[in-house]
Amino acid sequence: MAYIVYKRKKTRTIPLGDGWWGVGEKTLSEDQKIYPFQVETSDKEIEDLYERIDRTRYADPLEDGKFHYGFNSTYLKKVVSYWRHEFDWKKQVAVLNKYPHFKTKIEGLDVHFIHVRPPHRENQKVLPIMIVHGWPGSFYEFYKILPLLTQSRDGVVFEVICPSIPGYGFSEASHKQGFNSLAAARIFLKLMERLGFSQFYLQGGDWGSLITTNMAQMKPQCVNGLHLNMCMSNSGFKVLLSLLIGPYLPFLVGLSREDVRRLFPFFEKNVFEMLRESGYFHIQATKPDTAGCGVNDSPVGLAAWILEKFSSWADMKNRDLEDGGLERKFSLDDLLTNVMIYWTTGSITSSMRFYKENLGSNLNNRVDFKTEIFVPTGFAAFPNELMYCPKSWAQIRYRNLQSYTFMPRGGHFAAFEEPQLLADDLFNFVKKVEKS
Amino acid sequence: MFTEVLLALVIGGLIYFLVQRSKNQVLTTEDGWWGSGAPRDAGEDDTIRSFRVTTSDQELEDLYRRIDLTRPFPSLEDSQFNYGFNSQYLQKVVSYWRNEFDWRKQVDKLNQYPHFKTKIEGIDIHYLHVKPKKVPEGTSAVPLIMVHGWPGSFYEFYGLIPLLTDLSNPHDLVFEVVCPSIPGYGFSEAPHKKGFDSVCAARIFHKLMKRLGFQQYYAHGGDWGWLVTTNMAQLEPKTVKGLHLNFAPPSKPGLSMALSMMLGRHFPKLFGFTDFDIQRLFPCMEKLVVEFIKETGYMHIQATKPDTVGRGLNDSPVGLAAYILEKFSTWTSHDFRNLDDGGLTRKFSLDDLLTNVMIYWTSGCIISSMRFYKENFGQGLDQHLIVYVPTGFACFPNELMHTPKLWVKQKYRKLVTFTPMDRGGHFAAMEEPELMAEDIQKFTKIVEGKVKE
Repeated sequence: MAYIVYKRKKTRTIPLGDGWWGVGEKTLSEDQKIYPFQVETSDKEIEDLYERIDRTRYADPLEDGKFHYGFNSTYLKKVVSYWRHEFDWKKQVAVLNKYPHFKTKIEGLDVHFIHVRPPHRENQKVLPIMIVHGWPGSFYEFYKILPLLTQSRDGVVFEVICPSIPGYGFSEASHKQGFNSLAAARIFLKLMERLGFSQFYLQGGDWGSLITTNMAQMKPQCVNGLHLNMCMSNSGFKVLLSLLIGPYLPFLVGLSREDVRRLFPFFEKNVFEMLRESGYFHIQATKPDTAGCGVNDSPVGLAAWILEKFSSWADMKNRDLEDGGLERKFSLDDLLTNVMIYWTTGSITSSMRFYKENLGSNLNNRVDFKTEIFVPTGFAAFPNELMYCPKSWAQIRYRNLQSYTFMPRGGHFAAFEEPQLLADDLFNFVKKVEKS
Repeated sequence: MFTEVLLALVIGGLIYFLVQRSKNQVLTTEDGWWGSGAPRDAGEDDTIRSFRVTTSDQELEDLYRRIDLTRPFPSLEDSQFNYGFNSQYLQKVVSYWRNEFDWRKQVDKLNQYPHFKTKIEGIDIHYLHVKPKKVPEGTSAVPLIMVHGWPGSFYEFYGLIPLLTDLSNPHDLVFEVVCPSIPGYGFSEAPHKKGFDSVCAARIFHKLMKRLGFQQYYAHGGDWGWLVTTNMAQLEPKTVKGLHLNFAPPSKPGLSMALSMMLGRHFPKLFGFTDFDIQRLFPCMEKLVVEFIKETGYMHIQATKPDTVGRGLNDSPVGLAAYILEKFSTWTSHDFRNLDDGGLTRKFSLDDLLTNVMIYWTSGCIISSMRFYKENFGQGLDQHLIVYVPTGFACFPNELMHTPKLWVKQKYRKLVTFTPMDRGGHFAAMEEPELMAEDIQKFTKIVEGKVKE
């Protein structure tokens, strides 16, 4: 009995490892100080942007092409016109700076993060939480949800840390090969430690969900709870079985009616959809330096590349619209601020390399994908998320699933699109965990 | 005994009948119109206009300004070309481009052959038409249409054209060569309507050849040119006398191909596999599947979101160069990925490489060139129709997809020549023009000889 318990305990964590990602050789000691940071801009930066925008060489879209060939050129002109004549980057920089920013060196890289303390702490249970973004997002996606999380509900309130993944935005990019989600997870654990947090919650979507999962696998004793809005389901035997039997006898393989509605016909909905939408994934996972080269010189090219995702990943049906439905859920100011973070830092190429570093070798063979997660987990299933993951599939690896919520609306950029819904679910999950 | 013979005859007759039927199966197509708006009622202008490639100070200044505005991002330490085009080496190429490359001189070089444009199905089609200076007594030049691919252009054939049109060896055939630009590439207008695929290009090129007065002609192609010329042979098998290819990826594995993948390693003789075939095909998973996935990211994104991926490349000449030249590195030899300079100048000169890039840059055609992928993959690339037109295949050792004789014959039933080449990769015509010219000669002579009988 004890042996069995011992054996199970053995597979609960993945090794921490270590790394060095700076230029050249590793230095003997590392500067551990945390420095305040301010986002800045200059007239020169803005003029350079405008000159490049003015030099854009547009091509006509195909008649009636809508968003089926990618970002529609006619609508792109409208977005760019707003960007050139109405968008106020200086004002947006002030918006970015409303929360305190910091930088600190870990494993040879300058790691950027914002640290938001709740205004009222007396008599409140203050729970530290780290929220991790993905691609093509940034810490800025969380600016709508931050005020909701730092306002107490029933005596519970969050203290929020939002880092930038190294290679994204204001975090320095790795100079060495091999910087994957395990490295990012370890660096973020060190960050929390450096900030003095021994116990905390985690939230993530897109790459953020993989990184926070890794963090929970590396140091489960530190992670009180893990909340995700995206989960990459394992293609295991159980999944295969549910695909075959699911359409006919869903209950037999642990699928609910809602699951069936969202999942089948599997092939049309998921596999072809995935093929249609994963071109960027394929090229970024194989030739990131080539793909990033042109978009680092052309702000309009960068905007098209990034904003196309904010169109189709909010709702796949947006491809049938002339304007890609972009402004239905997001404001141009918010969308362009996110693009400007990639533009002003020139981080698009390093952000793409993350795909190659994680997927270069077969992902399913990596140690973290063979290891289960025992930390209390909560999952928010948004209807327009890229890949649907039913509860039973999530439970294959997340063995301590405390909450699984079907959301009424929203897509991939959950925190950006539906901050209220996500905040509600996060509070509910956390209360559940705190009670037990 | 009698019943067996009768049965054999019946079965034989049935097979023959079926074969005859499929022999008569020809690819059909409808007419199209690709201009903007609705087609005008008045007849189409079918005049042939002379065309010259031109440039201007303004064009060069704009190029230089953009090059100077490049924001390079250093490649990872020791990564060579494994993450795509190496940033450090790209700076060297760009420096040459900015300070030594002479576009005006290259434009003169482009104009050494006569260029023309003519309107077909609503769009301007650009092509070169090179007539031989000397044709031996009692013979006539053999008409040949050569079609390029992506990211190439008509310029890929500039080394090959003189070898086919200048009569050096009196025993050789002399050719009259037409090199069009696929609509959406280079100086050919891009279609304004959806749905322009390789069959449409093939149909338009048939119309072009007919307009130039040719009744029968040969066709040569690689990359997309392979598909367009194959479609031409499928559309009008009587018009295409011979089809010469250096690229022929099978679209759907037939029975013999599938068997050969399973058993070929252990029974190579059964499938006619040479040592080189074995080396390039096995182990299948690694050589065919993994390599394929590693190198087809561009294909995947171009076949789904061409307007997005082309967008930045039309503003950033350096981005465009990196995107295009990466292919001239990796598709010439996969080993080049491990070189700091991608082996780029081992087979090509920077002048030639950059001239090709400039064709994409000055015409602003990168987006429309990428749309061809979406249009072709949308319908399902394969026209499974067997090709009975006499075919010649030049098998270059470093071609992207290696096709042994057995696999080529799956679709091209009348394989007249199959030549394993000593060296050369995907851009064979540009890399090894002599070898290519030799093979075209060899192939055409056999077909012409047969016709004489």
